[in-house]
Amino acid sequence: MAVGSFFGSFDWSAFLNALILGVSIASIWLIAALGLTIIYGTAGVINMAHGEFIMLGAYSSYMLQNYVGLPFFLCVPAAFVIVALVGLILERGLIRYLYKRPLDTLLATFGVSLVLMQGVRLIFGSDPKYLAVPPIFTSNFQLGFVNISAFRVIVLGITIALVVALWALFYRTRFGVQVRAVMQDKEMAASFGINSDRVYMLTFAIGAGLAGIAGSLFGVLNIVLPTMGTGYVVQAFLVVVVGGGTLAGSVIAGGATGELQSVFAYFTNDTFARFMLYVLIVVFLRIRPQGLFAPSAKRR
Amino acid sequence: MNIYHNVKAQWLAYAAFFAVLALVPVLVSDSFLLNQFATYGVFGLLALSISLCWGFGGILNLGQGIPFGLGAYGMAMTMQMQSQDASNPLPPFMLNNSLDHLPMFWEPFRNTTLGIVLSLIVPTLFCAIFGGLMFRARVSGPFFAIMTLAMLSAWYTLILDVQPYTNGANGITPPSPLKLGEIVVDPYSPAAYWTVLVLLLVATVTAKLMTLSRFGLVVQAVRGDAERVRFLGYNVAGYETLVYTISGFIAAVAGCCWVMLTQYVSPAQFDTTFSLSMVIWAGIGGRLSLLGAIVGAFLIQGAQSYLGDTFLNTWLLVLGGFFILVVRFLPKGLAGLVESALGKLSSRRGRDDGNGVAASRLVPQPGE
Repeated sequence: MAVGSFFGSFDWSAFLNALILGVSIASIWLIAALGLTIIYGTAGVINMAHGEFIMLGAYSSYMLQNYVGLPFFLCVPAAFVIVALVGLILERGLIRYLYKRPLDTLLATFGVSLVLMQGVRLIFGSDPKYLAVPPIFTSNFQLGFVNISAFRVIVLGITIALVVALWALFYRTRFGVQVRAVMQDKEMAASFGINSDRVYMLTFAIGAGLAGIAGSLFGVLNIVLPTMGTGYVVQAFLVVVVGGGTLAGSVIAGGATGELQSVFAYFTNDTFARFMLYVLIVVFLRIRPQGLFAPSAKRR
Repeated sequence: MNIYHNVKAQWLAYAAFFAVLALVPVLVSDSFLLNQFATYGVFGLLALSISLCWGFGGILNLGQGIPFGLGAYGMAMTMQMQSQDASNPLPPFMLNNSLDHLPMFWEPFRNTTLGIVLSLIVPTLFCAIFGGLMFRARVSGPFFAIMTLAMLSAWYTLILDVQPYTNGANGITPPSPLKLGEIVVDPYSPAAYWTVLVLLLVATVTAKLMTLSRFGLVVQAVRGDAERVRFLGYNVAGYETLVYTISGFIAAVAGCCWVMLTQYVSPAQFDTTFSLSMVIWAGIGGRLSLLGAIVGAFLIQGAQSYLGDTFLNTWLLVLGGFFILVVRFLPKGLAGLVESALGKLSSRRGRDDGNGVAASRLVPQPGE
């Protein structure tokens, strides 16, 4: 393509559309990564089963909607509770024995992800399921020359609400102070009477529950499949790695990656945009291996 | 002294293992079965490369599918071009995707030697560059694992996306077996099995010698504590890059062999599940033992082929559950089980060799 024709074909309204779509993509990257951020940030656990937690969230919403008849907006908090319970069981039964071996948490949770994926496939089959939402949310609306689907706005709203809620939890409550104390120095926190075991357990459960919320939303954006989680887990990890494992880092990293993907996709195509983004992240880590905002951890 | 740590005994075990493998073509006359056993050899190569990188270097690599897949694609391109001639210069799938001339990067694969050399060099170079970038930035441990995973899925999407050049999801199926000069390597012949076996033998012996060498000692020290090795004045990033690249080269060789045996390659070779299953083979077999990792690959792939048919639906469930148990209770894998059994045997013999420290204490504990 010649340079002239390239600029000639440059369409500002389409580009603006891509930017706004980027915000929506960013909110999806971020909501997928939120749970992972607090699990990694607090306990240093690399949870490979995060994608399957997302999948479980989608399936629990599907189950509640089709067998109990719960309206969709009650399914979302219900998915939080169900997946948080699964996370709690997993933490008590397996993860707590592996806190000193971060690479092994990665491997063990990969085993868990295999079991969960195949278990769900055995129960629900591998045919796609669909989550129904009230019809107003499936429509698109027009804002000037920008066209967006209403549900993507809902996802963005929920993501912002969750980030604010997490910020409040970590920086405005007693529990948050305990979590941050354990993050900085586990032994010192323990000597001040903080039960670090309980802190780890609760943050793991909350992280899992957040994946459940993400799953019940992704179930509407996409179809519900036993393998749906695998696509999100790499994305979510990249956000956490680029962000450095802190909440603020994940918000910025999620925003930047989502926006960049949308802009690259505007110039090339979706797949190539993803490839470019991943290469860019490798280069970024070369320059800043600790991520955007690394927590001030104790030096060993 | 536990006989498991005796280097002479280890070499004997290797010799016995390969002697048994060499007997296979004598005993098995079914050519289909022989081909299957040869593909197990390829999986053995992969498990070996993982054991070298992860077990000895402490570098968990979830993207071993990249060098494997790149090698496999290179070999498939070479074999595909062998069946093209002047009157018919384009592979059929390119015609279907309405290409009118051979893409630039396919050109070198017209020449078989150049093609094979490229399918080995390109993945190795990739590992050297990617590893160099990451290790010099001191990205290590879980972060490196995640970056390899991200790179793997980037390659997967890329290969899938450039349909006219790689035939997308369908992959490349070279119509005829590999020709080396005048010799045709029939994938169902004992010759193909021998090729893979010899490569596995050479790779294993080289890897074993490497772990026993000075280089291997430093690499294992890096696994133990990279910071201390750095303070001793060693170039940690250099050692890490080198061991990662060597492991990538072995995987590229495995990729070439795999296409030679199956005459097929597709983006599934870049699938995360495949790369992670390599880690499972090495993990279950015992990542600290090269032989253990190879046996692990044989056991799990064998079980998948034979039990997989009966427990089709529950196989992944069983594999996942078993893997969780191994990580939780047996971090050294099945080889660790052999180690402690032999340790008990030697201590029961009651010959106290004077040093009070148990042998198992001296070996580095995994999972740090």
